[in-house]
Amino acid sequence: MRPLKGSLAAPTRGQRLRYRLKVALREPTTTIGFLAAALFAYLIVVPIISMLSDAARVQFGDERRIKQDVGELTWYYIERVFTSRVSRDLFWEPLVNTLSVAVGAIALSMLVGGTLAWLLSRTDMFGRRWFSTALIVPYMLPAWTFALAWTTLFKNRTVGGQPGWMESLGFSPPDWLSYGQLPVTIILALHYSPFVILLFGNALRRFDSQLEDSARILGASRLTVARKIIMPLMRPSLISAMVLIFAKCLGEFGVPYVLGLPVNFDVLATSLYQNIASRQVGVGAVLAGSIMLIGIITITIDAKLMKEARRFVTIGSKGSMNRLSPLGIMRLPATGFAVLMFLLSVGLPIATLFLSTIMRVPAQFNLDNFTLEYWIGTDLNTIALQTGILLSPDLWNAAWNSLRIVGVASVTSGILGLLVGYVVVRTPVKPLGTFLRQVTFLPYLVPGIAFAAAYLSLFAVPRGPIPALYGTTLILMLALIADQMPYASRAGIAAMMQLGKDPEEAAQIAGAGWFRRMTSIVIPIQKGSLTTGILLPFISGIKGLSLFVVLAVPSTDVLTTYSLRLVDYHYTQAANAVVLIIAGLAYFGALLGQKLTKTNLAQGLGN
Amino acid sequence: MPKINLRGVEKNYGANAANAVADLDLEIGDGEFMCLLGPSGCGKTTTLRMIAGLEHLTAGEIRVGPRVVDSVVEGVFVPPEKREMGLVFQSYALWPHLTIERNTDFGLRLRNMPKAEREQRVDKVMKTLGIEKYRDRYPSQLSGGQQQRVALARMLAVNPEVLLLDEPLSNLDAALRLEMRAELKRLHNEFKTTIVFVTHDQWEAMTLATTIAVMSEGQLQQVGTPNDIYDRPANRFVAQFVGNPPINIVELGNAKSEISARAGAFLGERYAELREAGSIGIRPESIRLASEAAEVPEGAFSGQAEVTGILPTGGSWIIELTRAGEKLFMTTHQSPEIEVGEAVAYWAKPKALHVFDTKGDRLEAADRLLRPGKMH
Repeated sequence: MRPLKGSLAAPTRGQRLRYRLKVALREPTTTIGFLAAALFAYLIVVPIISMLSDAARVQFGDERRIKQDVGELTWYYIERVFTSRVSRDLFWEPLVNTLSVAVGAIALSMLVGGTLAWLLSRTDMFGRRWFSTALIVPYMLPAWTFALAWTTLFKNRTVGGQPGWMESLGFSPPDWLSYGQLPVTIILALHYSPFVILLFGNALRRFDSQLEDSARILGASRLTVARKIIMPLMRPSLISAMVLIFAKCLGEFGVPYVLGLPVNFDVLATSLYQNIASRQVGVGAVLAGSIMLIGIITITIDAKLMKEARRFVTIGSKGSMNRLSPLGIMRLPATGFAVLMFLLSVGLPIATLFLSTIMRVPAQFNLDNFTLEYWIGTDLNTIALQTGILLSPDLWNAAWNSLRIVGVASVTSGILGLLVGYVVVRTPVKPLGTFLRQVTFLPYLVPGIAFAAAYLSLFAVPRGPIPALYGTTLILMLALIADQMPYASRAGIAAMMQLGKDPEEAAQIAGAGWFRRMTSIVIPIQKGSLTTGILLPFISGIKGLSLFVVLAVPSTDVLTTYSLRLVDYHYTQAANAVVLIIAGLAYFGALLGQKLTKTNLAQGLGN
Repeated sequence: MPKINLRGVEKNYGANAANAVADLDLEIGDGEFMCLLGPSGCGKTTTLRMIAGLEHLTAGEIRVGPRVVDSVVEGVFVPPEKREMGLVFQSYALWPHLTIERNTDFGLRLRNMPKAEREQRVDKVMKTLGIEKYRDRYPSQLSGGQQQRVALARMLAVNPEVLLLDEPLSNLDAALRLEMRAELKRLHNEFKTTIVFVTHDQWEAMTLATTIAVMSEGQLQQVGTPNDIYDRPANRFVAQFVGNPPINIVELGNAKSEISARAGAFLGERYAELREAGSIGIRPESIRLASEAAEVPEGAFSGQAEVTGILPTGGSWIIELTRAGEKLFMTTHQSPEIEVGEAVAYWAKPKALHVFDTKGDRLEAADRLLRPGKMH
């Protein structure tokens, strides 16, 4: 066949546009994309804007003090937070505390987690398989589990209620050991060292020994190899672990709340909480905005560094080899170190909490001091909670709320995430995909407590057709969905990318329309990742505190806020019991997830 | 009547990107086995995907039979699911969650074919491809070759008028590839389907196609039968892309090169019209050896060279000849009775010379002079 000579006339601009529109709108993908974009704009962007505008407008109740009308623009709140006489207490001191806790936690977790990661992935330490799961467990437990365990052990006479074990045994721990910076730093380091174990460990495991060998053959010493070859290639994983821990510390509320309050050790998150609790909406908005800004700066720096680091990501080539270094006589001590870390980060806190719930008086190990009445007793001599925790209707109410709210939110965000992934990967309208990806990522930059503040700002009063949602379970669900979207959409996008176009295109060629392809190809293939996409947010939602503590009211108490309330009432045993229940739910949820999806869910938790 | 007709088809990804496919005009006849051949990135897969409707056009139109399926000017776009074609992907793209049987009858179920008829069709196509014993297995339990057959069966089951194949054999090992090639040829004869086959493997194209379209950098270089493409390459790109070992190219007008000077003199002495030729090509198998200059036949293009390499390839040999730093490669099927280092005379018949102008296009005038007896 000879080619035809004489082509068609070139299409005009209008014709091209019409044709492209036709291609784009042929399938519901784009329409769904636009609907999702509108939904997320409302659930994510609008609350944040509303909150930021609160920071610059006179709030109800402040008219007299500011001498302006409600709603007028003002610098008052910004000045109050950054330059006034109270700015030290409101912002600067909490900022310094936040940063020093974060830096301390990062350094400590790098040291501990880094060592463990290396032991687990590159040496012949005993029981590596078991440890690689066991050492991740701290992250599956809520962070303030550790805080409660710490107070159970180290509480002194600075605060009332039951004394700590140390105090009961006759030692009186000083304040710096019982509360404030030191315990907060240690606890956050223990809680987040799994990030380092996972991210750094994965990078080490993927690291090709041949790269090391080539350098050795060329005459480099072990130290030179470590310095010139291994460290530069490990940098991206270390940076991302550090950034992740920093971002998490920034929004961490529970631990500093439990351990900081007695000595007025405030971090940004607790300062924000106190302002919200005392209805200082304007100041709260400025603080939330600042937390957000720090988050955004951190992520931006991270993105820059990662971009640079990614230039030489060539690891994981086909001939990848992973050789283990023999530890020799250090094999037993190394294993001992891993055991010690497991005991410190899991065994001790859980055991302490559990023992505390079955003892009347702390640290009295006589048989008659042990009792189950805090679990199942009926005649407790207390004012508000007169039955064992398991017999209290409040617990079951809170548990039901937790399951309902978190369950609905997780299922919704899992499905939305897959849908977002689908649209992002498939839509021919590229800007739509970009917008969806970015808007769903936005909550990642906003620590939970600031995000909750944003929701409070938008939904506390009726706006247009939407009634005031504060005090309802709906606001909790919506906030939780929005808060989980970064993880859900990232999982969805990754899953859709991995699926690739081919299976769906094959179905299209075979004659299947859009709906048919969704129901008989895309969703069945993505079943596994959809399950993970629902389960992961569920676990983090069950143990989540910072969103709920701002948005929940007593009638919508969930397990986490309920336990915090019990802490405030000094019902130590009951509070610890509830925390144990949460920890159990989170842990067994994660286990169930691993069984269902046959994957190591712990690795997904790092995302 | 042509089955598929592409006119002025153009594709670019983004306004500033180079055209992936530029101003492509191509007819694919009914029942033809058309190979789109070219190096990776030449636009052949994009062309195939545009025919399937998986990629939309930037300009131009595509017809299948009398029906316009894609036209920017007319604003027509028939989605892939309505084009009634078959496409076998390079990755096979079997649905991992469906058994082989369900993979195969997917398209028939979509068409609401009665159960009995459907089963009969599936049985037949499975038997034809020898996969009936795997019907209850999942794709992950099959080998690459078996998966490949399922991918084919899945498309053949709906009996498409046009079957598109995107490098379907590239993931198979050599023996299996040979077997599947024969199978494809047999299927083409049996089903009389129009086939468009994308490949970068010239050997595959030569053995399978009734027509080959060679592409490079988004441009169609030549369309013709396999013999046409090999014997009368339209330009230097086609000449160099098709053939293994590749064709020897001698640039003309290079005063420093002896081979070049000899070739220039050879053409110039005999055919004054060919003085503006830019280069000549000689296929390795057209070069012969003579132990001394006297044995070279009258009127042949010839020269002296040293044997610098003998590479046995099993049943044939590649011989490297060097003259003043320049190399010529030749092949022979007879055991060469020469040694490395020996001086020899090489020669080729005038009709074995491909003459290209300075832009690299074939000089038609040269064919008339050098190949007087041949029909074009």
